[in-house]
Amino acid sequence: MSATVRRICLVLIGVLYVVSVPWYREGGQAPAIWLGLPDWVAVSVLCYGAVAVLNAIAWSATEVHDDVEGPDGEETPR
Amino acid sequence: MNFGMVGVVALGVYLLSLIGVAEIARRAKEDHSPADHFLAGRSLGAFVLFLTIYATAYSGNSLLGYPGRAYRDGYSFVMATGFMMSIIVVFHALVPKLRPLAVRHGFVTPGDYLRLRFGGPWAKALRLAVAVLMTLALANFLLAQLKAMGDVASVVTGGIVPYEAGVVGLAFVILFYETLGGMRAVAWTDAAQGIAMLVGLSALLVWLLGESGGLEAITRAVAEKAPEKVATPSARVNANWFSSIALMGTASVLYPQAIQRVFAAESGQALRRSFAGMTFMPLATTLVVTLIGVAAIARFDIERAVDTDGVVPMLLAEWGSAGGFATAAALVVFLGALSAIMSTADSCLLSLGSLLSRDLLGAEGSDAAATRLGKRLAAGVLLATIPFALARELTLWRLIELKMELLIQCVPAFLIALHWSRLRTGPVLVGIVVGTLFSVALTFSDVTRLGGVHVGVVGCGINAAVAVVLSLFAGREEGAAAEAQPSG
Repeated sequence: MSATVRRICLVLIGVLYVVSVPWYREGGQAPAIWLGLPDWVAVSVLCYGAVAVLNAIAWSATEVHDDVEGPDGEETPR
Repeated sequence: MNFGMVGVVALGVYLLSLIGVAEIARRAKEDHSPADHFLAGRSLGAFVLFLTIYATAYSGNSLLGYPGRAYRDGYSFVMATGFMMSIIVVFHALVPKLRPLAVRHGFVTPGDYLRLRFGGPWAKALRLAVAVLMTLALANFLLAQLKAMGDVASVVTGGIVPYEAGVVGLAFVILFYETLGGMRAVAWTDAAQGIAMLVGLSALLVWLLGESGGLEAITRAVAEKAPEKVATPSARVNANWFSSIALMGTASVLYPQAIQRVFAAESGQALRRSFAGMTFMPLATTLVVTLIGVAAIARFDIERAVDTDGVVPMLLAEWGSAGGFATAAALVVFLGALSAIMSTADSCLLSLGSLLSRDLLGAEGSDAAATRLGKRLAAGVLLATIPFALARELTLWRLIELKMELLIQCVPAFLIALHWSRLRTGPVLVGIVVGTLFSVALTFSDVTRLGGVHVGVVGCGINAAVAVVLSLFAGREEGAAAEAQPSG
């Protein structure tokens, strides 16, 4: 379950990174102001805010073991 | 504005507190092994780990250089928030695989993983190549921090402590506490330095927003004065944005001091919690310094690009001139900036000591002699770097620009090797040589971007392609530990 959550979060993070860069807007245009920022900057900041939340969830769902399986198949303690 | 004697006293108190922390760290030592000195006996808990990663990741360049870049480029420098955050995303590819191996085999340096993962006749050459790239990047980073330390010490004390004395004096303070207390002293001072940095920056932004009439007023003022700095970015800037995310995200996780913090954590859970918290820090730091730099566009007219690094000192001078609380707060911001610089420099130095002794000279022992060798080598590197830092007019910009381009060439040896078992030693070495030569040759030919993409990113692509394609045709490899091979 946690692996699935992590995978979904990482995929969404990838999508948000693509949206955060305004490649889909024509360059050199005067923007509208939104949330006190140029609209394309506001979109980027919101994307990065969402990336931070999803990444925090992804890290919480990540298993970082302090043991690795030994040659005999048994977990080796630290 | 000039802090004069108040600045000297504040600086003195700050430095004495660092030395006090070093003494406490020395008493906390459990033995004289490299693992205890360079990794604090693998005992860093989530809170200290979080703050030491934070303070190490945000250098003097983040606090002084980034506002300058935002002043020059305008709002498009919001890309920095994205690329700093991408580092914590890319750590997903490193930490879950590397941490268990590090605990089981007692890794101290990045080279310890390579020793386990790669076998065959080219294994030693590969370790040396990676160690050389990492050493060059670290030494380069250390030099930039020394120069910034001298500048800030001079400004804080109103010139009472001149640039040269600042460089030498602060370098020796770092050497003292790092030699005495090792990673514990570095991590604990980093924790205090991280808090000072965060408080200082937040205070500066709050003042700036209040003084300028809020964010919308700042944006409108910038749009009127320099409309190109709020306009939608060009295709080339967008390409550079994507490239910066790739370059910073992948290269920064391979800084030896970053990898060593993965080894130094007391548990995997502490690491998870630290990274979960760290992911928010670009919003609290990089976005803040970007807004500070943009706000300065409407306030100042700086003509020479090189002078834009002075944006934060200029704002602080304006703020501090109000006297009373404002002066004290401005002083805290300066000390916060100095903290950021020193915390990055101390981590570089500690990593350099272990990297030189274990990965370059092959001193792999776990006794006090190996630790002593690491300390001496770190001291030697620092002493060798100081003269370059004192030559203020010496232009090292090409070398500095090369730092990340060199580091990113180590990607196949770690990020691909951890996930793909067929990756072989010889092909990785050939890839590193090809990618590095490509990046260095173009950088020294004054070509730093290809269509907006960093030459290091292009070089890394070629490097990875060479390593993967040659590995597909290579046979089995002897000498690598089966356990270090990924199952994929």
